[in-house]
Amino acid sequence: MRNAIRIGLLLAPGVGLVLAFMGAVLYRAVAQAFGLYDFSGTSDGLSLAHWQDVLTTKRFWRAFQWSAYIAASSAVIAVALAYPIALWLRKPFRGSLILSAMLKAPLLVPGLVAAFLLVNVISYHGFVNEFLVWAGVWAEPRRMQNDSNGFAIIGLQVWKQMPFAFLLLSGAVQAIPDPVLNAAQDLGAGKFARFRKIILPLTTKAMQAALVLIFIGAAGDFSFQTVAGPPSVNSMASYMASLQGSEGDWNGAAVVAVMLMALSLFGAIGLTALVQLITRTLGRLA
Amino acid sequence: MARLVAEDIAVRFGTFEALRGVDLTAESGSFVTLLGPSGCGKTTLLNVIAGFLQPSRGRLAVDGKDITALPPEARDSAMCFQSYALFPHLSVADNIAFGPRQKRVARDETVRRVDGLVRQLGLVDHAGKLPNALSGGQQQRVALARALAVAPGLVLFDEPLSNLDAKLRDQVRNEIRALQRDVGFTAIYVTHDQAEALALSDMVCLMNKGVIEQKGAPRDIYFRPRTRFVADFIGAANLHRGKLCGGAMSTPLGVLHCCHEDGEDVEICWRPEAARLGGDLSGTVKAVAFQGAHVDVFVSAGPETVRLQVPGELNVSIGDTLQFSVPPEGVIALEASANA
Ligand SMILES: Nc1ncnc2c1ncn2[C@@H]1O[C@H](COP(=O)(O)OP(=O)(O)OP(=O)(O)O)[C@@H](O)[C@H]1O
Ligand SMILES: [Mg+2]
Repeated sequence: MRNAIRIGLLLAPGVGLVLAFMGAVLYRAVAQAFGLYDFSGTSDGLSLAHWQDVLTTKRFWRAFQWSAYIAASSAVIAVALAYPIALWLRKPFRGSLILSAMLKAPLLVPGLVAAFLLVNVISYHGFVNEFLVWAGVWAEPRRMQNDSNGFAIIGLQVWKQMPFAFLLLSGAVQAIPDPVLNAAQDLGAGKFARFRKIILPLTTKAMQAALVLIFIGAAGDFSFQTVAGPPSVNSMASYMASLQGSEGDWNGAAVVAVMLMALSLFGAIGLTALVQLITRTLGRLA
Repeated sequence: MARLVAEDIAVRFGTFEALRGVDLTAESGSFVTLLGPSGCGKTTLLNVIAGFLQPSRGRLAVDGKDITALPPEARDSAMCFQSYALFPHLSVADNIAFGPRQKRVARDETVRRVDGLVRQLGLVDHAGKLPNALSGGQQQRVALARALAVAPGLVLFDEPLSNLDAKLRDQVRNEIRALQRDVGFTAIYVTHDQAEALALSDMVCLMNKGVIEQKGAPRDIYFRPRTRFVADFIGAANLHRGKLCGGAMSTPLGVLHCCHEDGEDVEICWRPEAARLGGDLSGTVKAVAFQGAHVDVFVSAGPETVRLQVPGELNVSIGDTLQFSVPPEGVIALEASANA
C-alpha cells in the first residue's frame, strides 16, 4: 500500500502532466458539445441542443460515413500492401536494403507536399492528361481531380501510411526466427499453412497496431481532404473547421469533435476485433 | 522405417565449402551419429537431409526413392532443432500436436500420441504452458516430443541433449534409444560428445571440415582409427611419426613395434590403456592424475610426452622413471588425412 502511494507520487509529475493536458482537451471538447464555453460569446448553459442540431443534419452523417470510409479503406489497403512486402523482404537479398529504404521515403515527405504533387499530376491540365492527349490515347483531357469516390485521398493516405505499416510489420515478421518456420515446414506445413498458423498469429499485434494507428490518423484527416477531396462532401475534420470557422458554431464543432473521437475509438476496436477473428478462423482451418 | 542414402553431397555458402562429397548410408532402423568439432558441417548435413538446404551437388534417397528435389514438408523426416524452435504462441500440447495435425492424423490418435509423449518425457505438469514459461531442459524435451509425434521414418536430432543436466541427459538419452528401438525409426543424431556417440550408435560418422573422415561401428572407430584426426578426436591417443623399418620405429622412449608394412614417413598411434607396465620403453613421470579405477600418468622422454593409463593401485610419483611396453597389436598405423 505504501509502495503504491510512493509509486503514484513518483509518477505524478510525468503522467500527471500528460493526463492533465489530455484531460483538459477532452473536457473542453465534451463540455463545449454540451453547451458550455461558447467562444462566440453567448453561452446558454448545459444543453443537448447542439447534439440535436448536428446529429439531425444530413451533412454531418455524410461526413461521418465519409471519414469512416476513407479511414477504413486507407488502413486496410496500406496494411494489405505492406504485409506481403514485409514478408518478401524478410530474408535479405541483393538490393533489399535499398528497396526497404526507398519504401520508407514517404515518411520524410510532408503530406501536404505530396498532395500538391499528386494534384499537379492529375489535374485537368496536369501531366497525365497532357501526356495522354499528346500521345493520342485520350481525345481530350479528363477530370480526375477531386473525384467523388475519394480515390485520390485514399491513394495519398496509403502512400503516406504504407511505410509506417511496413515498418511495424517488418519488425514483427523479422522477429520470427528461421528455425521456427523451418520447424513448421518440417512438420508438414506448406507455405499457406505456415502463414496461417505461425506468421499470422505472431504478427497479429503489429497488424492491429498498424491498422488502428492508420485508421485514427486518416479519420482525422484535414489536409488531404482540403487539397484532393470532392467538394460535395466534408471529412469530419473539415466539417468541424467549417462549422467553427465560417459559421461560428463552436458548440456544433465540439459535437463533431466528440463524434470523431468516438469514431476513432470504435473504428479501432472494430478493426482489432476483425483481425482477431480472421486470425482465429484461419488458424483453425484444417 | 526408412533407409537413407546420401551420395556425394556438397554444399557451398558463397565460396566456402561447408560440405564436400559426403557419402552416408543409414540402414533402416539404425542409429547413426554425426560427430565432429564445432563448425565441421553437422547441422548443414542435417539441413540437407531435412530439405532446408539444397545441395549444390549429390543426391538423397529414402528407401530407394530419390528425394533430392522434395520440399521439407513432403519428406518423411522430422528434425529436433539445436535451438528448439518451438512455436512461441502455442502451448506445449499444441506444439506437440502440430505435426500430427498437419499430417492429418486422426484426432484421437493425435491425442493418444501427445499424451504418451508428454508422459514419457515428464511434461505432464507443463502441457498447458507456453514455451517461454519452461526451463531450457523442458523446452528441449518439448522439441523432442514434437519431432517424435509425427512418427516419421527418419528423425534428425541436432544436439538434442546439450542443455540437460548430467542425470537428465542420461535418462533422456536412454529414452531416445528405447523409443527408437520400439518405434523403429532411423535416427541421425548430431553430437560433439564422443562418449555419447560411442554409447548410442550403430554407426559413428566422424566429420572434419566438411567431409566424413571415417565412419564405422563405435569399436571400429575407437580401435582402428584411420587418420590422426580420428585417433585424436575419439579418446586419447599417443602419436609418433618417423621411419618404420622391420616393423619397428625408434622413438625417444625406445623402440615401438607395429604390425604394418615399412615406410619412410609413417605415423603410428596407441591408446593410453594399451600400455603395460614393465618393458623396454621408458621415460620420466611428468604428471600424475588419479582417476579412481586407474591413474593417468604423463611420461616424457626428449621432446615427446605420452599418456599412459595404469591400474589405480600403482603408486607413482613425479620424477620417477617408468618402464613400460606397448604390445604390437595395440599400435595402429595411420594414413595421411584427406584434409590436413
Ligand atoms: N547460412 C550460412 N552461410 C554461410 N556459412 C554458413 C551458413 N551456415 C553454416 N555456415 C558455415 O558452415 C560451417 C558448418 O556449419 P554447421 O552449422 O553445419 O556446423 P556444426 O558442425 O553444426 O557446428 P556446431 O557443432 O557448432 O553446431 C560453419 O563454418 C559455418 O560458419
Ligand atoms: Mg550445429
